[in-house]
Amino acid sequence: MAIVQLQGVVKEYPLGKLVVSALRGIDMTIERGEFTVIAGPSGSGKTTLLNLIGCVDVATRGTVLVDGQDTGRLSDADLTRLRLHKLGFIFQSFNLINVLDVHQNVEFPLLLSGTLTPGERDKRVRSLIDRVGLTEQLIQRPAELSGGQRQRVAIARALVTNPAIVLADEPTANLDSGTGASIIELMKELNRTEGTTFIFSTHDHAVMSHARRIVKIRDGAVESE
Amino acid sequence: MRVLVHIALRNLFQARRRTALLGSAIALVSASLILLLSIAHGIEDSLVTSATTLSAGHVNVGGFYKTTATDAAPLITDKAKLRQIVMDNVPGVEGIIERHRGWGKVLSPFGTIQSGLQGVDISTEKRFLERIQLAKESDYVEGGRDEVVGDPSKLAQPRTVMMFAANARKLGVRVGDEVTIQIELLGGATNTLDATLVAVARDVGMLSSFAVLLPTQDVLELYRIRPETTGALWVYLDDIDRAEAVRADLAKVFEAEGYRVMDHVAAPFFFKFDTVMGEDWTGQSIDLTTWEDEVSFLTWVLTAFNAVSWSLVTVLVGIIAVGIMNTLYTSVRERTREIGTMRAIGMTRWQVLGLVLLEAGLLGLGATALGTVAGAAIATGIDLLNLPVPILAVQAILLADTLHLKVVPSNLVAGVVALSTFTALAALWPAWQAASMRPVSAMSHIE
Ligand SMILES: Nc1ncnc2c1ncn2[C@@H]1O[C@H](COP(=O)(O)OP(=O)(O)OP(=O)(O)O)[C@@H](O)[C@H]1O
Ligand SMILES: [Mg+2]
Repeated sequence: MAIVQLQGVVKEYPLGKLVVSALRGIDMTIERGEFTVIAGPSGSGKTTLLNLIGCVDVATRGTVLVDGQDTGRLSDADLTRLRLHKLGFIFQSFNLINVLDVHQNVEFPLLLSGTLTPGERDKRVRSLIDRVGLTEQLIQRPAELSGGQRQRVAIARALVTNPAIVLADEPTANLDSGTGASIIELMKELNRTEGTTFIFSTHDHAVMSHARRIVKIRDGAVESE
Repeated sequence: MRVLVHIALRNLFQARRRTALLGSAIALVSASLILLLSIAHGIEDSLVTSATTLSAGHVNVGGFYKTTATDAAPLITDKAKLRQIVMDNVPGVEGIIERHRGWGKVLSPFGTIQSGLQGVDISTEKRFLERIQLAKESDYVEGGRDEVVGDPSKLAQPRTVMMFAANARKLGVRVGDEVTIQIELLGGATNTLDATLVAVARDVGMLSSFAVLLPTQDVLELYRIRPETTGALWVYLDDIDRAEAVRADLAKVFEAEGYRVMDHVAAPFFFKFDTVMGEDWTGQSIDLTTWEDEVSFLTWVLTAFNAVSWSLVTVLVGIIAVGIMNTLYTSVRERTREIGTMRAIGMTRWQVLGLVLLEAGLLGLGATALGTVAGAAIATGIDLLNLPVPILAVQAILLADTLHLKVVPSNLVAGVVALSTFTALAALWPAWQAASMRPVSAMSHIE
């Protein structure tokens, strides 16, 4: 079964007396283990789409199914649980918790879910930090890291709970092209080895070239696959 | 959850200037609260001490004797029997003393005062002698010696008198001088007696202005009364808190023994003359009071002080509350993206609410603990300094001639608990604002 399924999804933002239609009827299916890029010019609705899939926002009309659950019918508590257990986020501006060090940032979602013993937790955190190559920076704070390093921490944090889907909204936009490419490489490798579904947005052609599937959107509608 | 405590502490540290500012304000209020409470307890302490030294025992067996329906003398007859009844029926009695209750004028060549005249048997007044302090001569005589002169034990001899510094000053007398004591007898005739001033004690507030002490013998002679009568038995207990219970018990005991026992009125004996004179009986009646009843006209001091203190603390706490709300609201606003991120990652609303409350609670706990300890230290310090209170009116209110503060440990704990809980409560609104932030706010790109 598809991990993400969108049917006739419309998202409208009220803007004073006007209504901005960010998405105008999106139909889309993403299978488990896919590595999908959502591409499109600025303002086309990429972030809006990822927010809906990421359960941080709900559609105005249409249905969004994530791991078989209709997000429009879930309570705030249910959505929170879904985000915690099924989803991982990688943000354009990294969004690490400034007062926590690398280890603590990566550990944070595990503490929230509380499913592992302290020993298992530490092992899991260290192995992920090792995967993103930050073993040396274990006790550094975000302010003491470069942009690329911060995004690596964010990737480790997104993957630590072993989510079904990882969402990344322009994860390379704040990085130089070399670093960006290595981040994409890392995500691809994790997609291959862990089987995690990756959905990310970009308007960078160099990044798009890595994708296995590209969904192009324009003005809130799917333009081509 | 440990990580929330960690984040809360780190957030406080991150915003150290803000934390320090708000923390100092909270600490200051805690310290003020403790100081005010210590002063109130100091006054209470002084009140208890001076009341139970100058005006009453813990429980008092007094009463009125009426020869006709329209007169009243503050006397009890057959004091030995009354004393025996008390001894037989009250457990934990530490001691019983007798004080005659008189009222009259004291005259010197330089002045006159009106005062209560207490007949004492100084050999039984160990407690009184332990608690009062003699005044230096310079305290009450212009250009007097800077040393204590006089000896209260000389009250054992007839024709002697002892008083407090304020009265000695008004009369312009020093130890060794003669004064004349003048009283009015039941029919209106006056009687006088000359006595030598043998000791002058340091003032202990209002009550000391109304206490002039004479030997029992002299009072009997002045009032022409028999030796088996006295004014009241002052009963001291091992535990002052039992006073009211013992008073109530004794009322039943004396009734059972066939005495006429007056209805309990929480007032000193000298407020009761009018009532008693208006009543239609003759002979003896017994009036049982506690020390608090006898100084009930003074408790307004404590009530007033507490009222002022609490209004002050309420205002301060109100200001602090606004400060906490405002500061936390700003801090939460500034962290919109971080809070959104935590929500997106999977933190629940309640956890966000808890995080902000925890931050405020920890700040409150730290600051109040610090402030309370500082307040207690300052209060103890001031008390140890024994600062003299130069203004008589203030002395009257404080019931002592030095500033006395008493730190009560349970107040410290209560202060910390109350104020840090309060801090957390003031944080409820900003915490709710934080909890209501939407996870999508994590996506805003503004750094
Ligand atoms: N909160 C909002 N309120 C009103 N309009 C919004 C809001 N968020 C997005 N929009 C509008 O919705 C449309 C899609 O925006 P979205 O952010 O999804 O585009 P995007 O493809 O992510 O663009 P970019 O590449 O610049 O990030 C735009 O027209 C935008 O102005
Ligand atoms: Mg976008």
